[in-house]
Amino acid sequence: MATAAVSPAYAHAGASEKSGVWSWLTTVDHKRIGALYLYTALAWFAIGGTEALIMRIQLQGPNGHVVSADTFNQLFTMHGTTMIFLVVMPLSAAFFNFLIPLQIGARDVAFPRLNAFSYWVYLFGSLFMNSSWLLGMAPNGGWFGYAPLTTMAYAPGLNIDFWMLGLQILGISSLAAAFNFITTIINMRAPGMNLMRMPMFTWMAFVVQFLLVLAFPVITIALVFLQFDRFFGTNFYTMTAGADPLLWQHLFWIFGHPEVYILILPAFGLVSEILPTFSSKPIFGYPVMVYSGILIAFLGFGVWAHHMFAVGMGPIADSVFSVTTMLIAIPTGVKIFNWIFTMWGGNLRFTVAMKFAISLVALFTIGGISGVMHASPPADLQQTDTYFIVAHFHYVLVAGSLMGLWGGIYYYFPKITGRKLSESIGNWHFWLTFIGVNLTFMPMHWSGLYGMPRRIYTYDAGQGWHIFNLMSSIGAYIQAVGVIIGFWNLFRSRKNGEIAGDDPWGAPTLEWSIPSPPPEYNFAVIPTVTSRYPLWDVKSPQLTAEVPHSKHGDERNDVQVGGKHVAAFHDHLSAGTPEGGINPNAKQASTKVPLKTAEQLGIPMPFPTIKPLFVALFMTFMFGSLILIHKDKTDLAITGVLVFAAAMTASLYLWLTSPLEPNHT
Amino acid sequence: MATAVATHAHPPTSTGLDHRKIAIWAFIGSECMLFASLISTYLIYKGRSVVGPFPHEACDPPKCATHLHAILNIPVTSVSTFVLLMSSLAMVLALAAVENRGKPGYEGIMGSSKLWLLVTAILGTTFLGFQAYEFTSFVHEGLTIRTNLFGSSFFTLTGFHGAHVTAGVLWLVTLLAIDMKRGLGPKDAILVDISALYWHFVDVVWIAIFTLVYLIH
Amino acid sequence: MPVLTRLRRPGTRQAGAAALTVALALLLAACGQNHPESIFHHRTDFNRDVDYLFKILIWAGTIVFVVVEGILVWTLIKFRHRPGQAAPQHVHGNTALEITWTVIPLLILIMIAIPTVRTIFKTQAKARSDALQVEVIGHQWWWEFRYPQYNVVTANELYLPIGRTVNFTLHSADVIHSFWVPALAGKRDVVSNHTNYLWYTPDSTTAAVFNGACVEYCGENHANMRFKAFTVSPADFESWAKHQAENAVGTAAPPATTAPAAAAAAAAPGTKTPATPAATVAQAPAAQVTQAGFIAYPRDSIPSYAIPQTPYPAGLTFDDNLLGHGDPANGAKLVVGQGACLGCHTIKGNPMMVGVVGPNLTHIASRTTIAAGLYPNDAQHLARWIKNARVMKPKVLMLTLGMGQYDPVAKTTMKSGLTDQQIADIVAYLQTLK
Repeated sequence: MATAAVSPAYAHAGASEKSGVWSWLTTVDHKRIGALYLYTALAWFAIGGTEALIMRIQLQGPNGHVVSADTFNQLFTMHGTTMIFLVVMPLSAAFFNFLIPLQIGARDVAFPRLNAFSYWVYLFGSLFMNSSWLLGMAPNGGWFGYAPLTTMAYAPGLNIDFWMLGLQILGISSLAAAFNFITTIINMRAPGMNLMRMPMFTWMAFVVQFLLVLAFPVITIALVFLQFDRFFGTNFYTMTAGADPLLWQHLFWIFGHPEVYILILPAFGLVSEILPTFSSKPIFGYPVMVYSGILIAFLGFGVWAHHMFAVGMGPIADSVFSVTTMLIAIPTGVKIFNWIFTMWGGNLRFTVAMKFAISLVALFTIGGISGVMHASPPADLQQTDTYFIVAHFHYVLVAGSLMGLWGGIYYYFPKITGRKLSESIGNWHFWLTFIGVNLTFMPMHWSGLYGMPRRIYTYDAGQGWHIFNLMSSIGAYIQAVGVIIGFWNLFRSRKNGEIAGDDPWGAPTLEWSIPSPPPEYNFAVIPTVTSRYPLWDVKSPQLTAEVPHSKHGDERNDVQVGGKHVAAFHDHLSAGTPEGGINPNAKQASTKVPLKTAEQLGIPMPFPTIKPLFVALFMTFMFGSLILIHKDKTDLAITGVLVFAAAMTASLYLWLTSPLEPNHT
Repeated sequence: MATAVATHAHPPTSTGLDHRKIAIWAFIGSECMLFASLISTYLIYKGRSVVGPFPHEACDPPKCATHLHAILNIPVTSVSTFVLLMSSLAMVLALAAVENRGKPGYEGIMGSSKLWLLVTAILGTTFLGFQAYEFTSFVHEGLTIRTNLFGSSFFTLTGFHGAHVTAGVLWLVTLLAIDMKRGLGPKDAILVDISALYWHFVDVVWIAIFTLVYLIH
Repeated sequence: MPVLTRLRRPGTRQAGAAALTVALALLLAACGQNHPESIFHHRTDFNRDVDYLFKILIWAGTIVFVVVEGILVWTLIKFRHRPGQAAPQHVHGNTALEITWTVIPLLILIMIAIPTVRTIFKTQAKARSDALQVEVIGHQWWWEFRYPQYNVVTANELYLPIGRTVNFTLHSADVIHSFWVPALAGKRDVVSNHTNYLWYTPDSTTAAVFNGACVEYCGENHANMRFKAFTVSPADFESWAKHQAENAVGTAAPPATTAPAAAAAAAAPGTKTPATPAATVAQAPAAQVTQAGFIAYPRDSIPSYAIPQTPYPAGLTFDDNLLGHGDPANGAKLVVGQGACLGCHTIKGNPMMVGVVGPNLTHIASRTTIAAGLYPNDAQHLARWIKNARVMKPKVLMLTLGMGQYDPVAKTTMKSGLTDQQIADIVAYLQTLK
């Protein structure tokens, strides 16, 4: 492939690229917000990984005593909470931000400032929750926080306060982002980009937003009850008042199971982008892939109680949830086979991104099989709360989600930065991760079936668990080396990587039709799409001959918008011509001709603004003030809440009354 | 890059609807799950309180220290429910007045969006007044949010709803202020439209609460 | 279309292959080990039912695994990029194939679902009415076991007769716990404000010891909430239960004189036979049982996996020379006096010792472990436990009692408290409570 002498990333830097800390604090550009999500989540990944490493050192041999029981409990609680809420979800959010507008042919998200707000809430919420480490009072109730262990009677410290308030703050971030992306996907697709032409990643992202919107309110309420109990003395989880501890479990898992799909579907989406590109074949069975994603999400709301087979729900409930859980295996299996048959007959190029994607397919299968094993309640009674479950969900979330997300990082890094990650360093990163993941989590199946419970800070000798734990620990150290190499790759390639060009991989979707990194307005001209593979349509039309096309835009030609017939808008953008916004020679063009600025093109871009940051900051302080109640400073807590609420409202007022962009009414 | 110059600063939306309209529907979907969780909790905890007062039945010694009568006042709440329903009607009229500004049939009182926004806000405030009265009288009768499972789940559920009504009233007052300052016309209809959707949603939730909490024993 | 050169990294591959070989070797080594808590022990009807399901699940899982990974690997090898390869055909779907891989998993799942549902209903049916009833009460962080049919209350060590169905009734005194003996049956959560049930029939032919554990995270010492289950012959069980139901050694005299009687009874340390006339009445049956009947699983036949190997916490010292010379009579006084054991513990027959917060100590010496399976029940561990339980097992309710000891919960140093000699006396007394 040709490498240009001039970096496209910097060819136009002087003209429109804004730099400096202030530009990052005030940015409303979805691509920069995506990058902020990416780097913040990777930082938390390092911390969550360190927490895991300390636990693996402790469990390496029997009766380990590197850390105390309480510290260990804080570590596993924060490891889970961090990896789920501060790593995998935000990494997915990084891709949602960066990719959704690019893949659907839009210039930004529907609400750019709300998008900035979501990021800042995530950042401040995560800092708030982890600030508990500085007090030595990190959350210690488990990521699942089962009542009544989290109530004042059994957890009088601030640990649980940091956890529940932190989760509430993070929930606001996720919900705000979800409303934004739903609106973006429904309403900002380029002409011709009908739903069944959306790239698979955008589809899975779309499904995930609905899961977020419907699942997060449930945990919000469960946490509100806990907050009220802890701060105001209500009785939701007070056993002496006759409360039912299973209330928390039901509410938590009605959220918690869809959460699993919130964590995995974005990675599925990324893999569905990577495999076709490096197989030079369209995704096998696109409609089935879409419907199976929707079906997984839909069934995901009807299986929550399979986390509760041991609580004694009775044989009927156990049977029902067992069968619904097994049903989920069907659409999941369909996805696996469709991925394999996407590669079947292809021209497979084993880049690092491709290797990560393939390893998701290979290893998620293992997590899926063990998942079916827990779906059988009598068998689950011998598995739940043991290391077998730990093995299962790490195969799903590390070998699944994280492998997919790493694949996504290798695949999209060129688009984000204009430079490719090193393939040779990446190979070390991949193989160490692949070996490390399997060596860590495969033996856990055995330690679980040989009776080792979860969440124990130590175990006795003579139980037959030592060898498996030793293997897991060695695997974890190998993973750590792999991740450090991966971080090094990211760091060095940012400045020294091979210059990528617009379309380094030969991909079929819209985001590769524009320069790398894209200009702030993304598309100088909004493209018109006539099939699922707009870029292949232009670059190698013979490859998409069998894919359904529409000749003249699509049915939206007949849609009335604002009283005007929009057909005219499409006419000069018909597919297959350079003027269609998709330029087959874009690479050469972008390296030679400096990109025009948004002003030159007459595209109104939103003003940068600091206000969402302040709203997020004051909101975090407002929630955080509540903690003072448990320091016997109720007056100060109330004052804090009121002051920060006022400051938040004032910032919000300034936000809402300032214009979004020039010449916008 | 393509030399064609964009002819349209913002391309039309895919659905032809304003972004805010889509977003408010997504938000309402989310709110449904929020209230579903609250209402389910109330129903799950119904009849599980170990001490009185209880919603629908009196409590006498020895179960309760003193005689406690059934606490829910259904006639009063029926009135407040009616008030909230009427506010939805006023909201419809306010939206119609803004959307049809200047059209025949919308002169005078029907076209007075200020009046209808004000009426909606006043009715909403009246509902909140009823709720304040209800809460105070319950506290006097010995039911607080800490008393028992009923108290905790009842006050949290209706309190959340009350907070939503309060937010709605503030929203309406803001619209009213804009209307007074510069007048709301058809191009602003989306502003009133989304607030109306929210208001109707809050109203519908109350119907559910009224039925499930107050009417069904 | 850009064409990437095929990546060749032989070094990486060899390293990977080597690591996999090592991993497999370790795995094989691991499989040859002894696994006392394996769920694949078939010591009960429950575990055999589960094992039947596991066989289906493992076979189905293995077949799916081999088929999927086989096709995947074959695809990767066969369709890898080769220089000069023509562009692939763009197949974008195949309805027949997609129906196939929807229907086959469905059939597999039906094959799993039917025995699953059958087993659910079988294992969750009502236990037979002549079952041995055992009430299990989960406490932070120990287990209380009550046998209402035998009037027995004990802690952390469960005796089950071989061949008789046992029906556990599970309650929690505080947070949620989970009751699990992996080698006997699946777990059942012990949920606050709920009553759960679990039944099975231990039907191995020989007596055996099994480790059990709490498997629902229940706070700081979740890892240290262990217990033992002993399966014994029905005759031994009856003998054990009869002994457990009796009053503590030396306490059968009229209540008013209990304390001195107990003290006197315990006057001869280390002997099984009572030495003083005052205790003769009380000791007679117990002594008989001791000699003739089964009162506890013989210590010397307990397998090593059931003997705790938890090391002493650093910094907690005790003059072990004092042990073995303790004065049980003085110890008996101390448990109701300065030792303040009466606040929390019961010693059946002693009217002062009726606390219910902590484990029942009536027959503490018949148990093999203390602190919920964390330490062996011997003089050295018992002494340190009494001296500073909160260092031995953080955050336990059991108070720090040793003089000059730092109490990490109250964050104070004990100004008064028991001397090592006094502790040795208490240990000597407790060791008489067979």
